[in-house]
Amino acid sequence: MTTPVITALLDGSTIQEIAEQAWSALVGEEEVLVPLPGELPAATLSSWVGIAGPWTGSVVLTCGTDTAEQLTRALLREHAPEELDAEDVSDALGELANVVGGNVKAVLPGPAALGLPEVGTPPAAGQPADTLRVDALWRGQPLSITVQGALGPPHTPASDIEEENEVPL
Amino acid sequence: MRALVIDDSRAMRRIVGGTLEGFGYETRQAGHGQEALDVLHEGWLPEVCTIDWNMPVMDGLQFVSTVRANPAWRAVTLVMVTSESEHGQIVRALAAGAHEYVIKPFTADALRDKFALLGLLPQEAAL
Repeated sequence: MTTPVITALLDGSTIQEIAEQAWSALVGEEEVLVPLPGELPAATLSSWVGIAGPWTGSVVLTCGTDTAEQLTRALLREHAPEELDAEDVSDALGELANVVGGNVKAVLPGPAALGLPEVGTPPAAGQPADTLRVDALWRGQPLSITVQGALGPPHTPASDIEEENEVPL
Repeated sequence: MRALVIDDSRAMRRIVGGTLEGFGYETRQAGHGQEALDVLHEGWLPEVCTIDWNMPVMDGLQFVSTVRANPAWRAVTLVMVTSESEHGQIVRALAAGAHEYVIKPFTADALRDKFALLGLLPQEAAL
């Protein structure tokens, strides 16, 4: 038995719904994610968390660097320092990926483990069928949330191999 | 009243810490479970700890188990604040000794409600 691809487990509207809840609670009650595509600028920042379980891959949030800074200010609200540094922005974007990723993990088959958030160049995506991308506009600025399988062919868990090789009694 | 906010995200520490300060708490912050244990060993004993689950060095579940194993820290209320939202994870945390569980994303009102349920809201903040 092979691991199912993400498109067999999730749909875009579930990801959109999870992201909207995260935005409303963390970024601001009035903040809306409009499910429309937009062209990402040349300078982008990505944050992601890994999920390891029956389905293994990452949940990646990507937006322009200016958008990332605005998201950080919105997230921190009155707790934002006067001058944001790069770590503030990385940390805030990482936490958004963590919250979205944690809630994506909850709707996938378990048990699964959630990794720590990372920021930078995201891991390479696996096969296209194991990738689900949602594009949205926040304050008119584009961002994307991609749930992507790990690079490589879908693996066959050792437990399944043993089961398949068992001699029927 | 004192609260120790434990989260590897600086942003989340600021948000949770700021919210609790708004409730009237004096707060300190720690970036992982071991750093939080260091604060407790210093003798700074809070009424409540808010604890993220996934953190480097020592995760939230290990921290909860360690605190619950020490009778000197029995009075500390432990509230998980995490994006781990599956029922099984909630049960594990409560079995390890956490008193309450708040799922990220949360609002300040949700945190206030949980603290009120636990009787941990200073009177002026409850109004």
